[in-house]
Amino acid sequence: MIMCNCVVQAGQISAEIEAALRDSLSDFSQRRFGAPAEITWLAIPEHSGFTASQPSTSSVVSMRAPRIMTRDEREPLLRELCAIWADNTKCTLNEIVGVISDPVTE
Amino acid sequence: MPLYMCNAAKGIIADAAKPKIAEDVTRIHCAVTGAPPQFVHAFFVEDAAAPPLGDKQAMLFGSIRAGRTDAQKAQIVAEMRAAVAKHSGLALDAVGMMTTDVPASWVLEGGEIMPEPGEEAEWLAKHGHHAPAE
Repeated sequence: MIMCNCVVQAGQISAEIEAALRDSLSDFSQRRFGAPAEITWLAIPEHSGFTASQPSTSSVVSMRAPRIMTRDEREPLLRELCAIWADNTKCTLNEIVGVISDPVTE
Repeated sequence: MPLYMCNAAKGIIADAAKPKIAEDVTRIHCAVTGAPPQFVHAFFVEDAAAPPLGDKQAMLFGSIRAGRTDAQKAQIVAEMRAAVAKHSGLALDAVGMMTTDVPASWVLEGGEIMPEPGEEAEWLAKHGHHAPAE
């Protein structure tokens, strides 16, 4: 399984969109990393998320890759991951933080 | 990125304190690193699994771009802990804080890969920001 952490603002994403997003993220994980995503979903409570000191509409989607990747390999995957999020949620790219980290080697 | 996640025991940090803490977190991060404020996120949760509270009543965990110096990170930790204590009314030793370094190339934000250390001026100019004064 590929660890995938999603952080969203409460009330921003409906249950239907969340379900579609989970399917899309797991499909991405399967296609790109060869395993489905194990998704952790965290909604930041209302009045508790801030970006640039203002109420936030930002989401964070973070996946842990199963192998160490070069920058050239990682960048298109990051763009695809953020595009998946934008397509499903209709958020703009300015509202999405995408992270693909290397595996823990310790 | 940076993302500052504050976990606290339920009810410990009042809603009214959160924007004040977020404002200080943003101000401190930008003052110490020269980063533009639009990338600074401060999120608050209660009784969450992470970051673990341990023996603290509030724990702030900062995921920051790799390349900051130890002195910068120490200043961030000292000033942000004090800000959380001040606005929440907690004693300073009830507030914990940790940071972790995240390589810039791991992060896409605003449709762009974050700049690596040393590439900030070029990146900021390209994206319409003014480089911070050194």
